[in-house]
Amino acid sequence: MIEPRGIRDLVASRFRDLGIDEWVLVVRSRESTMAKFANNAITVVQYWNSTSVEIYAARDSRIAHAQGFVSSADDCLSMANRVAESLSKVEPSPLYAPLPEPSGKPLQGTVDPRIRDRSDDVLSTLPQLIDEALRSGAERVAGTLEFGYEERTVYTSKGFEGTQPRTYLKAYARAFKGENSGHWAWGSTRFDEHRLAEVGHIAGEFASTNLPVANVEPGEYQAILSPLVVGNLVNTMALMSSALLVLMGASMFAKLEPGQRVFSENFTLVDAPLDSSLPNASGFDDEGVACRNKPIVKRGVFKTLLHNSKTAKRMNAALTGNAGLFMPTPWNLVIEAGSDSLDNLIKDVKRGFLVLNNWYTRMQNWIEGMFSTVTRDALIYIENGEPKALCRRLRIADTYRNVFSRVAALTKDTYSVWWWEVDIPTRSPYILIERARFTRPEA
Amino acid sequence: MFDILDRAVNLARELGASYAEARYHELVSTQIMTRNGQLLGISGGVQRGVAIRVMYRGILSFASTNSCERSSVEKAVEIAVSRAKALSSLAREPPVKELAPARVGRARYAVVPEKPLDSMPVDEKISMLKELFRVASSSCRECKLATLSVVYSETIERKIVLNSDGGYIESEVPRPTAMLNIVLVHPQRGTLQRMIELGGSGGLEIVRGWALESMIRNEVEALDRVLSKGIEPPKEPIPVVLGSEVVGLIVHESCGHPLEADRIWGREAAQAGESFAKRHRIGDTIGNEHATVIDDPTIPKSFGFYLYDDECVAARPKYLYREGRINELIHNRWSAALYNVESNGSARARDFRSEPIPRMSNTYLAPGDHRFEELIEDIKLGLYVKSYMEWNIDDERWGQRYVGLEAYVIRNGELAEPVLNPVLEFTTPSFYSSIEAKGREVRFYAALCGKGEPPQGIPVWFGGPDVRLKKMVVGVAR
Repeated sequence: MIEPRGIRDLVASRFRDLGIDEWVLVVRSRESTMAKFANNAITVVQYWNSTSVEIYAARDSRIAHAQGFVSSADDCLSMANRVAESLSKVEPSPLYAPLPEPSGKPLQGTVDPRIRDRSDDVLSTLPQLIDEALRSGAERVAGTLEFGYEERTVYTSKGFEGTQPRTYLKAYARAFKGENSGHWAWGSTRFDEHRLAEVGHIAGEFASTNLPVANVEPGEYQAILSPLVVGNLVNTMALMSSALLVLMGASMFAKLEPGQRVFSENFTLVDAPLDSSLPNASGFDDEGVACRNKPIVKRGVFKTLLHNSKTAKRMNAALTGNAGLFMPTPWNLVIEAGSDSLDNLIKDVKRGFLVLNNWYTRMQNWIEGMFSTVTRDALIYIENGEPKALCRRLRIADTYRNVFSRVAALTKDTYSVWWWEVDIPTRSPYILIERARFTRPEA
Repeated sequence: MFDILDRAVNLARELGASYAEARYHELVSTQIMTRNGQLLGISGGVQRGVAIRVMYRGILSFASTNSCERSSVEKAVEIAVSRAKALSSLAREPPVKELAPARVGRARYAVVPEKPLDSMPVDEKISMLKELFRVASSSCRECKLATLSVVYSETIERKIVLNSDGGYIESEVPRPTAMLNIVLVHPQRGTLQRMIELGGSGGLEIVRGWALESMIRNEVEALDRVLSKGIEPPKEPIPVVLGSEVVGLIVHESCGHPLEADRIWGREAAQAGESFAKRHRIGDTIGNEHATVIDDPTIPKSFGFYLYDDECVAARPKYLYREGRINELIHNRWSAALYNVESNGSARARDFRSEPIPRMSNTYLAPGDHRFEELIEDIKLGLYVKSYMEWNIDDERWGQRYVGLEAYVIRNGELAEPVLNPVLEFTTPSFYSSIEAKGREVRFYAALCGKGEPPQGIPVWFGGPDVRLKKMVVGVAR
């Protein structure tokens, strides 16, 4: 494999020859492993070793971009040539902005040598995760253990050069007992056998919930959303805070102004690249700008979109350290904790649900934030503070404004979740929503 | 490349694998992005590498590298086999010992464009996309066009697959795609949004077939009507006529996905879920005589086109539901071994970083014999839903929800007032038992279908005719 500095020298030299003096190069080298299991058995183990490259270049306000996997000098030159060729064919872009001055440096504490150097040891803990779910009462369990080591190196024509190493581990399990199921997930830069076992334990416990099954009529109910559900919903919310999606007409923030109150004052959503325990931690973005933790929503007030240099210039806003050469993106998400226990939240529910998990969140209208999502796994009906029954697969069909304007309480305990339906690692408490709309199909 | 792949397969066997497969997989793409008639940028992509898959004592192990050099590929093989060996000592009894036997092919095929994708200069393509904004803006009557974003892509996929059973397939498939996002705004009635995906296999003749200008004109005019004049749907149970776009999505979600055999067994249980079909057998009733759903990878020009799958098994049409009964599952060789059947050529992998798993290709409801006018002519009060935005289905593929976008009241056999955000929620058997009549024309729609871990978005078409359903309650999204 070719080294990042060798790629930089090739690309910079080619661009110099072609008279292109504004460029960014991002090189990602990653080695990772994933084991999938189902019905208590390993179904596949997967291993990846790759080096990918992203190149951005600008000339006379024209911009072009390419990305791909490279393994040789020819691959790198070919990609640089493609970018240069594109530049010669396009007109000036309304998104063009000069590259920002470098300000970032690598974040420390993002590498766990146990993950980087002893991958076989990490893989060998997988049976413990499965066994823990079975010990908690589950009959069968499915899930994934994934871990890896990545070095992301950014070079810019402004002189920035930085390498952010990180390790990461993602584990999630879905446990079944009869027709009931439970689910849990965890994500971190660090290996922790206790947390890994906890994934199986919590999934198994929810699967073993011993309550009768009941049909509850559709309607408006209180809802305790687990960190899995909150993670899923705020993933979409945070993506919508990317300024490019606002420009492209795919964001509820398109109708809002920073400073506007949009949600409950109990709700604060932070983009947290500097939390070194969360898997996407980084000290600098893809333009070499220093990352910083910043609220997207603070106590219900919309604070900022996420920007790279292009969207910031276009929208006359400050840089936020979220480049994305083309699209600004969130790093890690943190929901500010509350002061309650989960038991207290349950006691506060007169008539409602504890929603453990959801999937398939889809928008009817991104601008209006109209969505529905399907609950899965344990959906516990609560009456007068007491769990009464298990229900099956209701939907939450509402708007983001409604749901997050009605945050009544949050737990003090938070959980770092990362799985198939929570793509951006999210640390969240359980959240009590005063009122949400639940629907169900006709039989 | 052949020699390196051949060496990889032989090396895996020498190291003890009972099955080995090596795939060179290349995707070269170009993307043009415009917003409101302005070019935002051009992006190119190259994904090129080798995927290895081996079986050792029932453990399936996959390894991939983007370096196509012999030493890197050999290292990937060694890691794949060593990981399988390590886990075989830790793991419980594996679900299958070997892949199902299969008749594997040795062939080369290519989709040959009538008009190659590179035969039109980039600046002409940019002009074509920019013109859409002018057409869309001038099609608004009561509303204003807030956003029209268009992402146009061209991808050429090249693969060489070898396996230890003698399979050898080389293929090349070019695919143009487009994604359009339309946002209309009305001063009093808010916004309405439509997302459209287009795709096929071939060259610029596919793009020409989209008739982009007339399509965008029709879409914007319809959305303008719905946003400015849309009413709530009738509250009483009414017959519903679904347009082919909605029908295609329904059969993809409620027939194709639940009949993926790996899902039924539980391999995707922690991700995309399981299937109601685990409680059923082949031959069980799921609907009435109109419920025939076919998955066919061999449809020329289709987005999900292939002739051999990624395990070198020949592709063929599969009747998933046949006249209301569950007829055939979607298999790769791993799931076929679980069910003790032959693979039906449905193993697909998105790229060199992906394992081949059972996937749909082009899935559609078989047509009937009605013209559209005949479907609605005897409806006194009903609803026609032509397109949708929001939809979802539960993790067993049973209860599902579709929210209409372009929709109309049917009054005395004719289309009448536009309807805003009608909601249909039903179960899989209630849909397939409610079909009263079907149109004669099948239309197809493109999508990237998601499944797998890591997720693999794979090109598919879904489609069908317009259909008339029995009376049902229609809700409204607010």
